[in-house]
Amino acid sequence: MNWRGAAARVLREPLVHFLFGGALVFAVFGGDGAPQDRRIVFDSAQVERLSAEFAQTFRRPPTRAEQDALIANAVRDEVYYREALRLGLDRDDLVVRRRMRLKMEGFATAPVDLAVPSDTTLQVWLDKHPARFAGEPIYSFEQRSAFGLPATLNDVSADEVAALFGDPFAAALDGLPLGTWTSVASGYGTIRVRLVARRPARPPSLADIRQQVENDWRAAQAQASEERAYRALRDGYSVSIERPR
Amino acid sequence: MQRIVSMTLAGCAALALTACDGNPLARKAETKSEVGVPKAEFPQRVYWGDSHLHTENSGDAFGFGVRLGPEEALRFARGEEVTSTLGLKAKLARPLDWLAITDHSDGLGAIKALADAPGLLIRDPTLKRWHDLLNSGPQGSQRASAEIIDAFANNRFPAEFNNPDDIRKRTRSIWDKHLDTVERYNEPGKFTALLGFEYTLMDGGKNLHRNVIFRDGRAQVEQVLPLAALGTKIPDALWAYMEAYEKKTGGRVLAIPHNSNLSNGLMFQMTEPGGGAMSAAYAKRRAAHEPLVEITQIKGDSEAHPFLSPNDEFAGYGVTGWELGDLAMAEKKRPDMFAGEYVREALKRGLTIQDRTGANPYKVGVIGATDSHTALATGDEDNFFGKHTGAEPNAERAMQQQNLGSRQGRFGWHYLAGGYAGVWAVANTRSAIFDAMMRREVYATTGPRMTVRFFGGWDFSDSDLSSDWVRAGYKRGVPMGGTLRSGQGRPSFIVSALKDPDGANLDRVQVVKGWTDKAGKAFEKVFDVVWSDPAKRRLAAGKLPPVGDTVSVARATYSNSIGAPQLATVWSDPEFDAGQRAFYYLRVIEIPTPQWPAYDALRYKLKLPPGVRVKAQERAYTSPIWYDPPA
Repeated sequence: MNWRGAAARVLREPLVHFLFGGALVFAVFGGDGAPQDRRIVFDSAQVERLSAEFAQTFRRPPTRAEQDALIANAVRDEVYYREALRLGLDRDDLVVRRRMRLKMEGFATAPVDLAVPSDTTLQVWLDKHPARFAGEPIYSFEQRSAFGLPATLNDVSADEVAALFGDPFAAALDGLPLGTWTSVASGYGTIRVRLVARRPARPPSLADIRQQVENDWRAAQAQASEERAYRALRDGYSVSIERPR
Repeated sequence: MQRIVSMTLAGCAALALTACDGNPLARKAETKSEVGVPKAEFPQRVYWGDSHLHTENSGDAFGFGVRLGPEEALRFARGEEVTSTLGLKAKLARPLDWLAITDHSDGLGAIKALADAPGLLIRDPTLKRWHDLLNSGPQGSQRASAEIIDAFANNRFPAEFNNPDDIRKRTRSIWDKHLDTVERYNEPGKFTALLGFEYTLMDGGKNLHRNVIFRDGRAQVEQVLPLAALGTKIPDALWAYMEAYEKKTGGRVLAIPHNSNLSNGLMFQMTEPGGGAMSAAYAKRRAAHEPLVEITQIKGDSEAHPFLSPNDEFAGYGVTGWELGDLAMAEKKRPDMFAGEYVREALKRGLTIQDRTGANPYKVGVIGATDSHTALATGDEDNFFGKHTGAEPNAERAMQQQNLGSRQGRFGWHYLAGGYAGVWAVANTRSAIFDAMMRREVYATTGPRMTVRFFGGWDFSDSDLSSDWVRAGYKRGVPMGGTLRSGQGRPSFIVSALKDPDGANLDRVQVVKGWTDKAGKAFEKVFDVVWSDPAKRRLAAGKLPPVGDTVSVARATYSNSIGAPQLATVWSDPEFDAGQRAFYYLRVIEIPTPQWPAYDALRYKLKLPPGVRVKAQERAYTSPIWYDPPA
């Protein structure tokens, strides 16, 4: 792989986004706003931003007095924010901790939300998790005792059988002989059943369940991406735990 | 190399910003085609679902603490395990077949936006207070939520909150994301994810809420935004919105009122809103848009109240607490309000109005729903995740005061674990489920999944039961939700109820009849038509002995040693008068079972005070079959 390919691969890697995203946020918002910094500079861009937000809410630009008030309030906010950081008030605040954790997790999962997986990717995912997408056995049978349900059921999946007759009944169908009336325990007591046909589960094709696979893949990627990002950070710490005796 | 790094940073900045803005996905998820999904000749099986569920996009749900969105709600309903907001593993014992997420259109995402807003931009002191409370942990969040509901009920929202431009922008971005998620989980033939929202209509604290459900997919539904109620007090604006939607897109949409029990008599009035006789045009318009009502849900059951039905020993299920006043407890209940609140009475009023005007505004079928504000559609007593996040499983929830804007009289245990809808559809698709709702071929349960069939005709007899009676039912009669035109003799009904395969046996099946006499006065009567253990239990003076009770509250168990797994009969009305307008619906009663507070008591080793509901006879209600006398 040449350097271009390697770079492209690196750029696609959620972890890179995560780390650089965090660095960027620190650079923009952390830099001169650090608690030890005693200068507060509100440059013209920031003042403009305040005015624009005001205009968005009130559908007119602020007057000079309103602008002054906005700035004064922003300065007050900044002073309190830095002093609070200096006092460490962020450290034992559950809400702050939770929101910061959410933001960090957001960095890790955002690229996954945007990703468009190829068929190959999804096929690999499908092949890797056959149990998750296992097709179901299909049954056709007659029953005589559950009056409120059809007497003949054709091509019914195992899940549907379970929904109609209860789990133990669905499980019992696999062991039944074909073409013979037998008694089987169900959610309605023992009922008379004759199994007519049974088709074992077939692995489904991607085309049939693409969306399901994609939803599952996306959820798993988000989780894995978050976990990787966390691991990378976690590895930078040594953690020791002392349990009470 | 320098360049690569700066490019990376630029890319990250874009990612970081989109992530913060709620990140519209790069491409739109498309509606999947229903072509190729086989449709049955007539409904073969019942599809279970919840038509009323809130996620973090609902302002009050967010305020109460939920941090799960539509995606988690859909995964959970499909049967997957999710982690609840408070960190508990949550999974349904059995998946649902369909789900409609109905977040409040009013303030859709607004509370989340308020919580997330930079504090310095909020100038209104009330909003600032809510912002701070929302960010101060679960208790503050719940307090803010109660205040917000109260302000909404009393139309005291700060003006800044109602800025139409902001609302539109906020709503559009959330709606688009929502459409995307729902389309990704809608799988015709396997799992139906319906699009919808809740129209949170209030008159003071009186609940006139409607859930709005679309038949269509993204292409049509994205042409509109969820309509906000914004201080209106009558549903006319909603109906106009629905008419405009159907005209503009060629789609279909219906509305389902809920919690009539908290409307202080306004949900089913004899008059038009504000007084004045109800016109036929008004009655027709309501009936055209509102074919169903939600008869049972977490915030109580609205079938029948003992005050209205003193001879019905099973009336009054799930009314405790809720019967004290309106939703916000802004106004206490007076007994004369009950008639406008309970569905059986509404069905009777509908007959009277039809006698008078020729049109029935309350020709409604019934469904159950959860109205969970946890994103988790739980309806089982032993797996109840509560009304809202503060009531997720915990040792205090059964006895906790439930304010919902008020300060009095309602406790955690007044919540019912339940409400699901059974839909007799020809396939598990949006169109088939919506169409079944429109023809009212649906029924409500308080949680258990009983299979209930009900056909009305003129020539059904016992011998039908020994052959293909479902086909006969459709061929020679009408199913639940239908109307019988005049025929020969007395109407007869095929009645069949099968217990929940994983649940309790059945005590009895009842036919509830309502009718009007020549003077337009309405009456009701409950008939026990088939019951368990008939050899020992005989009718005496019109009453049946109780089925018994196997519940051990201490162990939270019951036994199917009493009751019957299935009950079926053909019943004809012994009191039929061909000149009287009438309706008939089924009420299927289970044997007594432990209720969720009993499971909580066992799980958390609680000693519950006397009077707390620890066991009950759960039930199913079908949509009625109406009889229209010859004109």
